Amino acid sequence: MISLSLPSPVRRYIDHWFESHNPPSSAAIRLHNRRLYILPTRFGYLFAIMLMLLFLAAINYQNSMAFMLTFMLVSLGIISLWHTHKNLLGITVKLQIPRPVFCGEACELEFEISHPNTSKRYAIGIQYADQPPVYLKLDAAASGKVKLRLPTHRRGLFKPGGFTVFTRYPTGLFHAWGWLRFDLPLLIYPKPQQDVRLQQSMIEQFDGQTSTSTIEGDDFAGLREHRVGESLRHISWKAYAQGRGLLTKTFQGQARPSLWIDWELITQGSLEDKLSFMTALVLAAEAEEQKYGLRLPGTIIEQDYGSAHKHICLQTLAVFKQPDFEAEFKIEAD
Amino acid sequence: MKPTEQNLPIRSISLEIANRSSVFAVCFCFLFAIAPHFRQLPLWISAIVLFSLCWRCLQNLGKLRDFPKWLLITLVIAGGVGVFAQYWTVVGRDAGLALLTVMSAFKFLESRRHRDLLILVFLCYFLVATHFLFSQSIPTAAMMFVTLIVITTSLITINQREENVSVKELLHSSTRLILLSIPLMLILFVLVPRVPGPLWGLTNEQRGGITGLSDNMSPGKISNLIRNNEVAFRVDFEGEVPPQGQLYWRGPVMAHYNGYRWWQTPRKPLHKFYLTESSPPIKYTVTLEPNGEHWLLALDVPTQLIADSIMTEDFQLTSKKRINDLLRYSMESRPAHLIGGNESVDYLRLATSFPEKFNHQTIALGRSLARRFDNSQDIIDEVLKMFREQEFYYTLKPPRLGNDNVDEFLFGTRRGFCEHYSGSFALLMRAAGIPARIVTGYQGGEFNAVGNYLIVRQSDAHAWTEVWIEDKGWLRVDPTAAVSPSRIEDGIDNALADEISSFRIQNRNPLFGNLLYSWDNVKHSWNDWVLNYDDQRQRSFLSKLDLGIDNWSDMVIALVVLLVAVTGLFWFVYWYRERPPRPAAYEILFNRLLRKLAKRGFDRKPSEDTRAFLQRVSQQEFSQREQLARIVELYNRIKYGRDGNSPQALNSMRSMINSMNL
Repeated sequence: MISLSLPSPVRRYIDHWFESHNPPSSAAIRLHNRRLYILPTRFGYLFAIMLMLLFLAAINYQNSMAFMLTFMLVSLGIISLWHTHKNLLGITVKLQIPRPVFCGEACELEFEISHPNTSKRYAIGIQYADQPPVYLKLDAAASGKVKLRLPTHRRGLFKPGGFTVFTRYPTGLFHAWGWLRFDLPLLIYPKPQQDVRLQQSMIEQFDGQTSTSTIEGDDFAGLREHRVGESLRHISWKAYAQGRGLLTKTFQGQARPSLWIDWELITQGSLEDKLSFMTALVLAAEAEEQKYGLRLPGTIIEQDYGSAHKHICLQTLAVFKQPDFEAEFKIEAD
Repeated sequence: MKPTEQNLPIRSISLEIANRSSVFAVCFCFLFAIAPHFRQLPLWISAIVLFSLCWRCLQNLGKLRDFPKWLLITLVIAGGVGVFAQYWTVVGRDAGLALLTVMSAFKFLESRRHRDLLILVFLCYFLVATHFLFSQSIPTAAMMFVTLIVITTSLITINQREENVSVKELLHSSTRLILLSIPLMLILFVLVPRVPGPLWGLTNEQRGGITGLSDNMSPGKISNLIRNNEVAFRVDFEGEVPPQGQLYWRGPVMAHYNGYRWWQTPRKPLHKFYLTESSPPIKYTVTLEPNGEHWLLALDVPTQLIADSIMTEDFQLTSKKRINDLLRYSMESRPAHLIGGNESVDYLRLATSFPEKFNHQTIALGRSLARRFDNSQDIIDEVLKMFREQEFYYTLKPPRLGNDNVDEFLFGTRRGFCEHYSGSFALLMRAAGIPARIVTGYQGGEFNAVGNYLIVRQSDAHAWTEVWIEDKGWLRVDPTAAVSPSRIEDGIDNALADEISSFRIQNRNPLFGNLLYSWDNVKHSWNDWVLNYDDQRQRSFLSKLDLGIDNWSDMVIALVVLLVAVTGLFWFVYWYRERPPRPAAYEILFNRLLRKLAKRGFDRKPSEDTRAFLQRVSQQEFSQREQLARIVELYNRIKYGRDGNSPQALNSMRSMINSMNL
């Protein structure tokens, strides 16, 4: 890897230029001329050196056919520059919103690549940073899907970026590429700690007597004011008829055990360890079909259950005190 | 991630393991590129190439394991030593080619990655150039053109990165790539400013396998050339072609004699000479095929000098460099020009000396002639008369001769070729005290009426004599003409019609004669325009075009402008041919409707499909409701119906949309 050390104004300028030319997109990214870059590869430079040698040899031997060959290969280079560029031009890349994964699992990104033109497109590669690329070929005016599996090392909410769609077809002398940055959520939950059981000491369990009234349950508990969004089935129509306004019937019951997963109660470990532990608790509570809520400094998620609730809890844990919130996704070297 | 932290992910791509089809493709293209060299390469090198390719292919099929590294290193060293042992050098054309071949073959044994294959393909491109050091003929060029396509095909195979490739598709792509390169190549060929070479002095090496005149003559030497119908040179005359009998092409002049062999020694360059003759010179241009020697052939007697050449005191034109490449030069000759008017005494002594040990009879005859006649011219006439009137035969298959070869020939076999007649004549003259020497070269030539030039072949090789006479200088005497006048008047193949089959196109193939002459004319033009396109030729060609391109910077500007124009044209054609298909007429009409609605303030929300959108519009624009419904119905019928795409339907849709009052 070549690391560029540039003076900061230049660097800022380049960054600005890059940002303005390659804005992250929530929809598909179409590679038009301004988003497409092309440079010779190492082999392109090697080829150029070979051509210089051939040219010198042709001069030295005054060999017309050697001149012709040299010029033929120069032309081949020029034509392949153009072909490499056009192999990528007009291509549209769309990223499906990635499924959240737990940190440490491979995150799977599915790209849909298409183009409207009447030519075939070969060896289109999609690559994240310098991870191994995945290639595909497109027929005329066709689309195809490729999946990239990336290792994850940090929890959080990221934007998928740092991808390139590239090609070196047909001659490998040039590398044409476009940057891909998406304004889509790439969510990585904290890594759940292994072998965690619901332990009394770590969670705050509520008994029946302190449980709150809900609209579900077995025993009628009383009436309260109707809130917008509550089902009409739970309205006490009798009370309405009596002119008391819209009231909702509430019940008390122990349909599910309920518990709180509370930051304050976990004393050991670093921030990440705690989150990892809480993640495991969320999963365990969900698995044991309990109602659970989440208490984090500044955030409280009410008790509930179900996969949507689980997702909200895990997401909250994922982004809790995330230093680089919504930054671009990055694989960290181990 | 910021761009400054981001790098082109180059390394990992080139380090990928190459797939099977690319390995096969590269093996094939290497074999294709090297195969014509098997003629020149030593057998062991060809064997190494075939072994490496077989190993790599079998390994690719999973039948063999990787070649052991230690063995490979050993072989690389052994190969280098082997090449050195074969040629005693590792540079120059032949040794360089051998080394390149051996090392590329070994590279195959360790080619696993994408990178290795790319390098091998580049080596193949380089190999193509080496063929041109051996031949630049049209067939070679055509063969190399095909080779270029094959190599490019394998290059594309590597970069296609698929296991299952369609050879047809690949060939199509590579052929297109190469054909598209041709216009650019021609622009570069014509306009890239040529530098006069060489840049370093490696080109003066002696190359094998070139036939032509040598610097010595002995019985049988020239007759070996006669069976070779390769073209020695072609001549374009300005004006009339001189008669056959005058077409003596002067080559090496030999004055040294040891009783068997004649040879030449370098002579001093001529410092100045006087044109003693007022008659106009014969002007012509010679396109000389490479002869591997220094001889520049010119019509007897050349009176002009060309660049990098020397005119010796013998009026022999020699190049300072070996002629390893085609050479084109303009010359003028004056047939009656005086040669050696004031020849030095030393040289004349050399030109009358001969070893006394051999050929006693001949020497005795010469001496008796000197006693009988006072006049040199009478002696010459007497000997020519002997050749003409006695039973001498002109033949390519003379009997073998021993030490007294001239005696055996003159008084025994009496069958010989030009070297026998010129050699024995010169010895007789020397014995008679007349300075004599041998001149070798070519005599005659075949006129190509299609291209209006003369073809001189190796089979036209000839040897004649020159005798020195006071005040007249060196005079040409051709004893062969006395024996076989038709050799000189009609050419070698007519003179020896029952011994050799004719090399003349006309005789060889009367039916397709004109076609063959045209083909030779194509070759001549190829030599003239392609192979001889050097700095001078470039300048004269560009000035003939009269475009105001007459110096270096003009050429570069013209080059850039043309390159940009041609690539721009390609780009336009590509853009035009491969643009996305135009939307159908009904879609265009429908979009017009949508634009009309947008003007009225109906914007389609992203969540709405067309139908929901139009429903919403209908609800608000009640008066247009039926009209809209009809348009939608027509649109659906055209789009999805079986025969809906009729002009009538389109027209009614158009009129309905136009008539909507929105």
